[in-house]
Amino acid sequence: MNVALLYLLLLKATSTSFSGLTSLPVLRHDLVERHRVLTDRQLNAAVAAGRTAPGPNGLYVVSVGYFVAGVPGACAGCLAAMTPAFAIIVLLRYLGRRAERPAVRSAIQSVTLAAAGLVINATIPLARDAITGPLPIAIGVASFLFLAFTRYATVWVIVGAALAGLAGGFAGLIQP
Amino acid sequence: MVSLSLRRLSLIYLRVSSLTFGGGDPTMAALQSELVTRHGWLSREKYGLVYGLARITPGTNILAFCAGTAWELKGWPGAILAVLGATVPAAAAVVLLTVGYEAFKQNARAMAAIAGTLAAAVGMMTVSAWQLVRPDLRRERILRALVLVAGSVLLSYVFRMSPIWILGMAALAGFFWRAPVPE
Repeated sequence: MNVALLYLLLLKATSTSFSGLTSLPVLRHDLVERHRVLTDRQLNAAVAAGRTAPGPNGLYVVSVGYFVAGVPGACAGCLAAMTPAFAIIVLLRYLGRRAERPAVRSAIQSVTLAAAGLVINATIPLARDAITGPLPIAIGVASFLFLAFTRYATVWVIVGAALAGLAGGFAGLIQP
Repeated sequence: MVSLSLRRLSLIYLRVSSLTFGGGDPTMAALQSELVTRHGWLSREKYGLVYGLARITPGTNILAFCAGTAWELKGWPGAILAVLGATVPAAAAVVLLTVGYEAFKQNARAMAAIAGTLAAAVGMMTVSAWQLVRPDLRRERILRALVLVAGSVLLSYVFRMSPIWILGMAALAGFFWRAPVPE
């Protein structure tokens, strides 16, 4: 498949979705059913690779691009993931000029509080998967305390947690 | 406060998104910790605004979030470098995993290290929620804060309502129900 067409199809899927994997149905329809350049098995492997790698789950489109057209396809997938992100700047420019009005400010404060509720909601399934025994509980609590009460960089939490996970893996204290 | 340069800002996005597993939410929590709490470059209100708008921007929310926060701090060059930093190394990891996914899945040590970072992501996200709510835990504002946070959890967890609707309803509620100003 032509890489430009692949980019446009991937862009169509990413720009009509509002979170990481909601582009999946559009993408499957175009690449698996219509153009037949991808199999369901490859699509599943792409989703798994996107979930296992660091960063956004939505980058599974990079893996899809790689399956369809190799490295140029992966670049097309990367570009299709990045392109819609810049639409937020249009929204910020529009709202930024109005942000000092009391009613708008109050609305923004309310959105911030509702966002905290959404973060709590997103934490619940992650906790169910990740907190599987005493060691993961200890890592989770230590991360909370470290970030809440110190000013060290977040990277130290991530590196420390990976090392603790590795040590726990050797000792049989963590389920990979 | 550490001064904010384009290079320093780009490195933060690159470092955080290359090392944070578990998707966009833990990455946003880690960026909140760096940009709002640790360095104080972005106010909590601006963070909340960008977080809300990232949810209604098409595509991957976290990439819109990176573009929005970096644009607030360093304009278009910041936004472009932040999105590149958040995408390119993670995309390279995705390609490597695509090539060797089966072999990687069998590597118990790598999977144990990832399991450790996912447990840390739970702590990171809890801190993120706590830091967003904490300034409103004052006597005159606590009722409004609790209603909005509990309502958001209830609508998303119990009723599975879309985040876009929840944030829209919160904005509408805030428009009419303003927080009392302390005397």
